[in-house]
Amino acid sequence: MCNITKEQVYKAIESVIDPEVGFNLVELGLIYDAIIDENCNVKVVMTLSTRGCPLHQMLTQWVQDAVKKIDGVNEVEVEVVWEPEWNISMAAEHVKKALGME
Amino acid sequence: MFQISKDYAPPFKMIEPFFVLGSIFYFLGTIILLFLHPKSGHFDFSIVGWAHWFLLGFVMMIIFGAMAQLVPVVVEVGHFAVDLYYIIWPLLLLGVLGMVSSFWFAPWLLPYGGLLVLVSMLIFLFETFMTLKKAQNITLTVKTVYWANIFLLIGILSGFFMTLAIGNGFDINLTKWLKAHAMLVLGGYVTLTIIGISMVLLPMFGLAHGFDDKPVNRAFKVMIVGVILYVVSTLISFYFATMLAWIVIFVAIANYFYQIYLIYKVRARKKEDIWSKSMFAGFFSLALAFIFGFFNLFIESEQLLLAVAWFLIVGFFGFLITGHLYKIIPFLVWFERFSPLVGKQKVPMLHEMVPVRDAEFEFYFSASGVVIAGFGLMLGSEDIFKGGVLLLVVGAFFLVKSVFWMLRFK
Repeated sequence: MCNITKEQVYKAIESVIDPEVGFNLVELGLIYDAIIDENCNVKVVMTLSTRGCPLHQMLTQWVQDAVKKIDGVNEVEVEVVWEPEWNISMAAEHVKKALGME
Repeated sequence: MFQISKDYAPPFKMIEPFFVLGSIFYFLGTIILLFLHPKSGHFDFSIVGWAHWFLLGFVMMIIFGAMAQLVPVVVEVGHFAVDLYYIIWPLLLLGVLGMVSSFWFAPWLLPYGGLLVLVSMLIFLFETFMTLKKAQNITLTVKTVYWANIFLLIGILSGFFMTLAIGNGFDINLTKWLKAHAMLVLGGYVTLTIIGISMVLLPMFGLAHGFDDKPVNRAFKVMIVGVILYVVSTLISFYFATMLAWIVIFVAIANYFYQIYLIYKVRARKKEDIWSKSMFAGFFSLALAFIFGFFNLFIESEQLLLAVAWFLIVGFFGFLITGHLYKIIPFLVWFERFSPLVGKQKVPMLHEMVPVRDAEFEFYFSASGVVIAGFGLMLGSEDIFKGGVLLLVVGAFFLVKSVFWMLRFK
């Protein structure tokens, strides 16, 4: 039985900031899911704001490092998916506002 | 799966000289303009020398440096032999200085300067083609990079052919060859490269998604047809086909403009910054070149032609390149100096690595300078032209200051 919650994983990923836009990956809506099995192995399903992101590998590494810091976490896997394609509607309201959307 | 590893990113010290030299060439190029007369014809060697200073020393130098970073992003594979970039910039630097000196005061240097430029570009092309060969995901941008480089290859070979002809006194029709050379390099390479790379960078920095990309696909195909038709018809003196080629090129540019509008409309990042302002100034300049160029089809005027070239080269190419320096340099510096510190200590955001006040000065001085000098050229007024150029010199000074500030950010 594993006591790690999805909320804990998201909270940990909030420490990972995209240096180009200045927001963390969770508030940008880039984290699609966090799957935790009974052995406390965590799989993060995420996307990026663009396929051509030159920070692709570093961002996924930072996510992995951040989740590994949670007490009791066993293996961490990060999967980058392109479906559904990210768009600004997935970001938090304060992010849209800061970008000048409203 | 698409990804770019740290191994794909070229070392910072390898790319830095391209940006330093490019911005210095830009600054000195604006100063040199103060000594040129706006009524000089475009075949005047003082103008030809300046055009090579600006296009090779600034435009090509920075495009090549940027490509060292962008090609892996676009092609989704690592460079074939990224170390070749260490020899591209010294050869290009010496070649430009040799060629420009030959146009201004030492004609005997032309074949030697031309040869150095040719070798540096052949190395760049060899490296790029070998990298493209590894591509598996053939996107529109990959295709544009491929075609643009083919045009560059033919363009530089035609240029070198001309340097041999001028240096050795061969009897060729220089007017025709110069037109073909200019179209291959400016239309075939620089414009097509901008069209392709725009499709990666504009949505990336503007956070634009879900737009229709058919217009840029049309622009890409039509532009290739236009460039080939222009070059062939010019060399065989088929005037009707040359006119048709211009119309085809105008259709391509119109499609590109429509694509830019579609991206602009859906962008999520609506807050203006120095990059977005520079893009706006660049596309405004392209619109002016487009309109004046259209009139130039019906009104034969050397002044109008010079104004078209001015808004295209100094306005469009200039602002698109300088605007992206405020994105590319902070990223490279951040990647080199701060990415290893992520998670260990607070690191700056990229926008904090741009000297906002100096960048704003650069933009407003340059934008007003480009417009005023452009109209001075069109009117054939030395006072208006040089007044505009003075503003441009001040803008270029702030550009160099900003570039060094960003490169030294700690």
